[in-house]
Amino acid sequence: MPTYQFRWDIIPNNIDFLMSGLQMTLIISATALVFAMIGGLLLAALDMSRYLAARAIGLTIGEVIRNTPILVQLLWVYYVLPIVFNIRISSLAAILIGLSVYMAAFMSEVYRSGIQAVPKGHREAAQVLGLTPFQSFRRIVLPQAIRFTLPPLASNFVQLIKFSSLGAVISVTEITRRGMELSSSTFRPLEIFTFVAVVYFFICWPLSMAIRIWEHRLAQR
Amino acid sequence: MPSSGPIIAADQVSKSYGPNEVLRRVSLPVAEKDMVCVIGPSGSGKTTLLRCLALLEQPSAGCVTMRGTTIASSKPDLAERRAARAVRPDIGMVFQHFNLWPHMSVLENLIEAPLRVKRMGRDAAIALAEQLLAKVGLADKRDVYPMRLSGGQQQRVAIARALAMSPQVMLFDEATSALDPELRREVLLVMRQLAAEGMTMLVVTHEMGFARQVGTRVVFMDHGEIVEEAPPETFFTAPKTDRARRFLSLFAE
Repeated sequence: MPTYQFRWDIIPNNIDFLMSGLQMTLIISATALVFAMIGGLLLAALDMSRYLAARAIGLTIGEVIRNTPILVQLLWVYYVLPIVFNIRISSLAAILIGLSVYMAAFMSEVYRSGIQAVPKGHREAAQVLGLTPFQSFRRIVLPQAIRFTLPPLASNFVQLIKFSSLGAVISVTEITRRGMELSSSTFRPLEIFTFVAVVYFFICWPLSMAIRIWEHRLAQR
Repeated sequence: MPSSGPIIAADQVSKSYGPNEVLRRVSLPVAEKDMVCVIGPSGSGKTTLLRCLALLEQPSAGCVTMRGTTIASSKPDLAERRAARAVRPDIGMVFQHFNLWPHMSVLENLIEAPLRVKRMGRDAAIALAEQLLAKVGLADKRDVYPMRLSGGQQQRVAIARALAMSPQVMLFDEATSALDPELRREVLLVMRQLAAEGMTMLVVTHEMGFARQVGTRVVFMDHGEIVEEAPPETFFTAPKTDRARRFLSLFAE
């Protein structure tokens, strides 16, 4: 493209428009993170339940969600849920539900492996000393499990931020959508989508680096 | 209960995992100030017996009693569960792999159960912990994390942690098996000292010299049964059964 004329001024000229999209991206990501963490905890509780029925339900939900594409789930929530339950779902609600549920299924695996990484002997020591199962979980298992859990939880957060761009498909006005809109009115996809990618990169990359340092420190302890 | 009765006893205890019978009607009373050494080949059921007494495994048949009260059986009722909860702190256990809690300092490992189970005051619990650490020779390691300690030091901390509940009987499950030979001595020394102070002990061990010198009674197990039971001198010099003789010959040099 030897004759291409870059028009980077498009970006500063429309920065408010694009930044309102970024704001939406961050709000969606943070909200979905909270829901996914709570949902993941509930799902993990089902997975590790004493009762076979609860385990079966938890495992089935987890397997279905983890083994279907998030885009299809999102479309399903946005287009199918309203028909089935005869309700109206805004695009914002749809992306929040879709993202939260999808990530919860991965979070539950993170929690589960964190808890199972605590050696059984640590619990037996607590049991022999007379600690109740609840005390043992809260004082012995949980503090250690959280340590194992935080780095993978944070990398799931990076995934979640990137997946929030799928909201564009159901016209959630997050930054990718704003980019699409701007590009179709200015015919400048190169500048705009490059800028959008750079924005994602500078949010996700520092997070990923922080996680790597964090994991390194944990490994040394 | 008269003080002459056993503190803790296995009464006709059996334990099966599926079709696999690991313990067959084992009876073993442990009297006050007894120092019982349980020896035998691996897979003989020694550890399972100890874990039944520590209430970590539930017997498939038979029962465990503490001062005459049933604390474990195949079908525990409410009273039995309550009794088990009540006597838990009286039964101390030391594991092969120490099982110290790595996210807590040595001191925190020691005061956790006294604080939360005995509801002891913090100052009293710390004073007790310091006293016990001095006793096992680790007073200077109070604020260190377990990872920074050698295996022998970790096991001594684990012993101190069990003692912090002032147990009436101490169970040792191959407490030195995971240690290098040069680290075993320091742990055996602490156990010897405990025995000398009159602590009631049940020790599953592969340390024949220790069993012979310190034990008041030796119990030899094989294939889930107690095959022979005798004072250490008698057992080691004149074993009555073939199985015991064969086992001991493995250690003779």
